[in-house]
Amino acid sequence: MTITRRRFLQGSAAALAAAGCATAKTAGDLQPQSGRRVVVVGGGWGGATAAKYVRLADPSIEVILLEPNDRFVSCPFSNLVLSGVRPLSSLTFGYGDLRRNHGVTIVRAEATAIEPETKRVRVGEGYYTYDRLVVAPGVEFQWEQVEGLPQAKDTVLHAWKAGPQTTALAKQIQSMSDGGVFVISIPPVAYRCPPGPYERICQVAWYLKNTRPKSKVIVLDANENIVSKTALFRGVWQASYPNIDYRPRSRVVKVDPSTRTLTTEFGDAVTYDVVNLIPPQRAGTIAVQAGLVGDDKRWCQVDHVTYESVKHRNVHVVGDSTIGIPAPKSGNVANAMGKIAAVNIVNLLNGRPPSPLPPGNTCYSWINDREAIAVVNAYRIDNGKVVQIEQKLTPGPSAIYGQQAVGWATSIWSDILG
Amino acid sequence: MTHMRVLLAAGVLGVVVAATAALAAAGPLDGAGSKVLNCAACHGAAGQSRSDAMPILAGAHPVYFKKAIQDYASGKRLSPEMEPYAKQVLVLGLDEIAAYFAAQRREPSRVKLDAAAVERGRTASTQCAPCHGPAGKGDADKGVPDIGGQPPGYLRNQLLLFKAERRSPGDEAVTKMKALLKAVPDDTLGDLAAYYSSLR
Repeated sequence: MTITRRRFLQGSAAALAAAGCATAKTAGDLQPQSGRRVVVVGGGWGGATAAKYVRLADPSIEVILLEPNDRFVSCPFSNLVLSGVRPLSSLTFGYGDLRRNHGVTIVRAEATAIEPETKRVRVGEGYYTYDRLVVAPGVEFQWEQVEGLPQAKDTVLHAWKAGPQTTALAKQIQSMSDGGVFVISIPPVAYRCPPGPYERICQVAWYLKNTRPKSKVIVLDANENIVSKTALFRGVWQASYPNIDYRPRSRVVKVDPSTRTLTTEFGDAVTYDVVNLIPPQRAGTIAVQAGLVGDDKRWCQVDHVTYESVKHRNVHVVGDSTIGIPAPKSGNVANAMGKIAAVNIVNLLNGRPPSPLPPGNTCYSWINDREAIAVVNAYRIDNGKVVQIEQKLTPGPSAIYGQQAVGWATSIWSDILG
Repeated sequence: MTHMRVLLAAGVLGVVVAATAALAAAGPLDGAGSKVLNCAACHGAAGQSRSDAMPILAGAHPVYFKKAIQDYASGKRLSPEMEPYAKQVLVLGLDEIAAYFAAQRREPSRVKLDAAAVERGRTASTQCAPCHGPAGKGDADKGVPDIGGQPPGYLRNQLLLFKAERRSPGDEAVTKMKALLKAVPDDTLGDLAAYYSSLR
């Protein structure tokens, strides 16, 4: 690929700006716009996909992706790190191909504010202008909903954003003694990845069953029942994991690391040797600050075809931050939203009507080291709204679904970043 | 009059500019390209699957592709993953999507193969050749798929499903194949998969 002088200079300026170098521009317009431009906030499943697909759909549009992390770490499959089946490195990828293969300008910086009236995204003291903005900040935790948690964030782990916490929780589990108790707290819906906690329970129960037969897993679920793949998970637990103690309607409201105790809203105290507290969630902070969330102050309503925010024009929201589309907060759905938003942003920037493209969802859950179950949802667009055509579950677990899960992951990681 | 000519000229120029812009804007994600976006999550960009388990859709015969989608959608070919997506394909336009994948040039699977398994599979493949052809190209008109270069994991899983009577139960088009496979050991199915995956 030929790097034009202009692009080289732009990239350098952005890199220097991101690194906070004194010689680079750190205030004002960080990269003056010379043509049509889309800025993407967040390089996860939705944002990175949107950045790539805008360029695929129309390479004349400049794309700037703002992402503070230098590596992409996949949340799907990260529960396998907790059971030692996969290393985190096998789920970690660079962003380089987005630049090399698609000409996306990647700025390693966190967007700090959105100014929809002037079409600017702020990064520290400076800003980038845009014609259309994609906001894909994922979820943020509502730490304050659990007493004691804001002070204990660093030791009471969520491991719900794959990365250092995933490895740290795996180490805690590996250091448990035989007879030790692992307690997991599941937040009330809506949260990222509905079946994720239950897959995690399978992985930890599988690992403990094989290595610490006297240990058990206590599940404190804020919900009435298993939220996703209910009968499949229940069947697996009954058949394979007598070491799981599942307690529905058990919302955790307090954590005390000094006594290693969780307290539920009904006052039940549960002590743990290792705890995994997945806090309640809302849209990423920038979406809340920018007024993209609805009356619930948590999630962003969007148009079902363009993913344009109902709050601000020219601002599109994709991925886990959204609500109202009858599809789960999954990586596959975020990826689908990223593609559809990209195609329709390009349509709109080229003066064409948006295409009514529906998302899809394929979601595998590992129940041990080689077998998986799955749920699949397909949708159509009906009068401008996403409507489900069908949801289908696997009849049971199978190693073939495990192989398909690997196939899905291999393919979709490449679809996002390749 | 002069004014009229200028207006006409401007009008013609406008049409030409608009047409050129439309041509310039036509890209891989226009039309059918946008309708296969969901397929890419498992089957790769433009149906060029790069995993072991998911079949390559690029270059699929339209007759075979359409039968597969219709069978998935009706539940005749059992797949909890494909049944909902097949219904979505029917909503979005089966003919258009089948034509899109047929028009893509297949890039054979890059999954690493065991050379010895490929050779064993070559020997065992004589009974497959009458229908699938010496190079595994199949027969487009009869709906026999082109299996050359497909990922070995996908081919092996399908052979196992055929053998276990879990692939398209009751479908007369595949009765003969199932009868043949009943006598074939599972290891040989893996060899056959490796051989057909190796074909270019």
